[in-house]
Amino acid sequence: MKPADPKLVLLAIALAGALGFVLPGHATTLLTEALILALFALSLDLLVGHARLTSFGHAGPWAFGAYIAAAQLLVLQIPLPLAVLVSGLATAVIAIPVGWLCVRTGGVTFAMLSLAFAQLGFAVVFKWNAVTGGSDGLAGLPRLGLPAGREVFLLFVCGVLAAAYLLAHGFVTSPLGRIVAAVRENEQRAEALGHDPRRIRLVVFVLSYFLAGVAGALYAGFAQFVSPELFFWTVSGHVLVMVVLGGAGTLVGPMLGALALFYAEHELSALTESWGLALGLLFMVVVIAAPTGLMGWLRAAVGARGR
Amino acid sequence: MNITRRPALAALLAAPALSGVSRAQGQPLKLGVPTAMTGTWAALGAQVVRSCRLWAKTVNAEGGLLGRPVEFLFEDTQGVPANCLRKAQEMVERDRVNILLGLMASSEALAVMPKLADWNALFISSVNGAGSITAEAWVPNAFRANTSGPMGARALALWLRNSPQTNFFSLSLDYAWGRSSVETFEGLLTGIGKRSIGSVFAPVGTRDYSSFITRIRQANPQALYIALTGDDGTAFLRQAAQYRLFERMPVVTETVDMLFTRPAGDAAIGLVGGSRYSFAYDHPANNAFVARFRAEYNELPDTYDGEQWQALEVLRAAVLKAGATDTPSVVAALRDLQLNSIKGPLKIRGCDGQAEQQGFVVRVARREGFPVPAPEVIATFTAAEVTPACRASNFS
Amino acid sequence: MDPLALFTLQVLNALSLSALLFFIALGLTLIFGIMRVVNFAHGAVFMLGAYCGVAAQTATGSFAASLLAAPLAGAALGLAFERSALSRLYAREHSAFLLVTFGLALALTEAIRLIWGADARQTELPAVLAGIVFVMDEPFPVYRLLLIGAGGLCWLLCWLGLQRTRLGLLLRAASQNPTMTAALGNDVGRVRAMVFALACALAALGGALAAPLLSASLGLGSNVIIDAFVIVMIGGMGSFIGTVAGSLLVGFAQTFGNFYVPELALGMTYALMITVLVLRPGGLFGRPE
Repeated sequence: MKPADPKLVLLAIALAGALGFVLPGHATTLLTEALILALFALSLDLLVGHARLTSFGHAGPWAFGAYIAAAQLLVLQIPLPLAVLVSGLATAVIAIPVGWLCVRTGGVTFAMLSLAFAQLGFAVVFKWNAVTGGSDGLAGLPRLGLPAGREVFLLFVCGVLAAAYLLAHGFVTSPLGRIVAAVRENEQRAEALGHDPRRIRLVVFVLSYFLAGVAGALYAGFAQFVSPELFFWTVSGHVLVMVVLGGAGTLVGPMLGALALFYAEHELSALTESWGLALGLLFMVVVIAAPTGLMGWLRAAVGARGR
Repeated sequence: MNITRRPALAALLAAPALSGVSRAQGQPLKLGVPTAMTGTWAALGAQVVRSCRLWAKTVNAEGGLLGRPVEFLFEDTQGVPANCLRKAQEMVERDRVNILLGLMASSEALAVMPKLADWNALFISSVNGAGSITAEAWVPNAFRANTSGPMGARALALWLRNSPQTNFFSLSLDYAWGRSSVETFEGLLTGIGKRSIGSVFAPVGTRDYSSFITRIRQANPQALYIALTGDDGTAFLRQAAQYRLFERMPVVTETVDMLFTRPAGDAAIGLVGGSRYSFAYDHPANNAFVARFRAEYNELPDTYDGEQWQALEVLRAAVLKAGATDTPSVVAALRDLQLNSIKGPLKIRGCDGQAEQQGFVVRVARREGFPVPAPEVIATFTAAEVTPACRASNFS
Repeated sequence: MDPLALFTLQVLNALSLSALLFFIALGLTLIFGIMRVVNFAHGAVFMLGAYCGVAAQTATGSFAASLLAAPLAGAALGLAFERSALSRLYAREHSAFLLVTFGLALALTEAIRLIWGADARQTELPAVLAGIVFVMDEPFPVYRLLLIGAGGLCWLLCWLGLQRTRLGLLLRAASQNPTMTAALGNDVGRVRAMVFALACALAALGGALAAPLLSASLGLGSNVIIDAFVIVMIGGMGSFIGTVAGSLLVGFAQTFGNFYVPELALGMTYALMITVLVLRPGGLFGRPE
């Protein structure tokens, strides 16, 4: 039994959705937020794990999607599912020029370029008071088009997450996904075979931004609130840590990493003011002790039992 | 009509709650404080937390509220709205808290406020200065016990009426509070026959103010108005003193906090500004609070120690008036609640939840018995003079 | 104000800011150039320097003591961290460094809060440094002249060190080809430990130098790290001359930008970085990766 079997992943997501009917209300809300972050981490894994493009600006598409969704919910008052889809598409569109400039580079340069674009987004929403509400953000977003109740919202998030996972999994295992892997492993060779690395990377970039935009829009619907902090570089750092913690390149790992980090932070910060110290030390131990992240650790555990 | 109906309504709503009281007798009353304990606002959060602890200790020593011991739930939000929302929701839904206090950033308060009705919870602000909280963004379950940004600016403008300076330049932090302060201040200047000759907004987190200082010197106003706080305020005061800016022009500020004047050291001497709360306000209730605070912490209470204490005193008065702690009863009791607080007479007005209270102007000076320059009250204005109209954030 | 005086003043302002930024950016680029590590904890080390400096001055009453204590503390921390954590990870992917330095930043920030509390800490400058000089009849703080001098001195010493000493030669070699350098019988592990300690010492010294302008507070680290990244990227990762140029460029852009177009100040450095990286992906003086 391989932990990354897609059927198993879908089953787990379905189970998470069903939990909404048994968990107390606040736990359902917490789980909903955790799953939205799982989608966010999943979207980044396409870049980091599969194209080896370490983005340090993934807060960019996340916040962009959230603000686009907020605008639609506030101004057009359209149903949330439609707003989420439109926000994802809008983020994908903006990803084309941004990606075109970013994917020409790699490594740290790519990381810093993506960061710069996200910070530029931060500056724009911060300064553009009249439209974005400036530093106060936009509050009181209506959540239309969905039956009331947090179980329903959790099911909706689970549905989107499942679809996103299938899309990501399908992409990675498709012929195009294999070309992405080929470009990642040996750019010259892939080029010799007639693939344009920049274009291939751009495809991954746009897909990743699309999913991050969807995640951000879901968050806007969830919190019914957006603020410039969503764009801030600490958010990018956070989601990157989720991916690495879970195990980059496995799709499932980053989702688990998101859940693990989210719950660890939540519980630690309730336990002690010094949660930063505990979490920081934990990161160091995990990096040294579990080189392939949670996913590698899980695989080893399952493999050992299988034998 | 609403007013005549309210007592009956309150009694009706209080009826089931009263039966609840007997059941809850002895059960601790939990108060939720999701505040910034780490991150940029950590120093302000620390004031909120220690003031709450002292209040709980004091109240519990007197037998609690309605015979129930008071218990605070503190959670760290880092000043980030997303965290604040999550923590507040969990307090309400898991821990059955219905009273929230001590929220730090205005954006955190603005994120939480629309949710209060759904949660059947209420919020009493002690820190949030943004005018919009009691204006565009007002909700029935939110109250503001503290002096707002526009109120601080108003007190200062009233004091400036008699100053010899006629033209002013403004420097503020580039976010909602700073911008609304400058806007209010500039509007008030024209009202008192003075004028603004320019303004500049520094991004939050600016470290080097030299360029802004040069800009101010070039504009060469007769006086400078600043709306800066925290690390930014400290950095500006220190650097401006190094450039000898204060020898050229007096500096006035919307709010004087020891939090930023203390690290500024001697650079803060002579600074005049509005004051949300100061230990220096000589009033029996305040003197008693300052003495109690010093006995506990061996330190003077700063702005948000005092503001948090006042918010808690407002809560206490409301709970005693309602005879219950459920949300509708306390909300009803808060409307038009009057009490004598550490800042003097105070009234929570029913129309937008703002506490009408006196406004103070202080000057930072070297004072006998204090190791660092400390504020002294130089003017006091009545609530009617400094409070904006209902659900308005400016003075027209 | 006379336009020429204004311009001169602004140039001096920009130079003093550049000097401060140089201390933190130089360490970052050294670490990257030699070790290929992006150190997210560099801002936290800068903050540690500010706190240690203030503590040393409070304890001894001497500002010079703060300039000595801060780099020592920085170096000690850097050495301990490199030996205990980083050195186990060199064979691994970039992401490992990311997580471990991110962890250090988190832990260090909280440790500082536990030791010194949430309130900002400060000391006063000695009288001789708190004075002013007149530049074309305009007052200018002596301390800022000291900053410019310190930045220049640091630049000169590092340049001489890199060009004229055996260690410098080794560093340049290790930066260009670590395997070859090791094959020639050099202890690359020791070089890395020294580089990391030196870089942390520089950042901490920068923090101690910044303390009189800013006071030591908890927001210091996260604010400064992004500026430092921008400088290093603009100059070219691992390029010494690039870091000098990047510090000057960012210092001048911020100083003059804040003066003439304050409305755009928030996004300006990022726009600058995007422009440079799009035109020259390796930065002004670096090679593309």
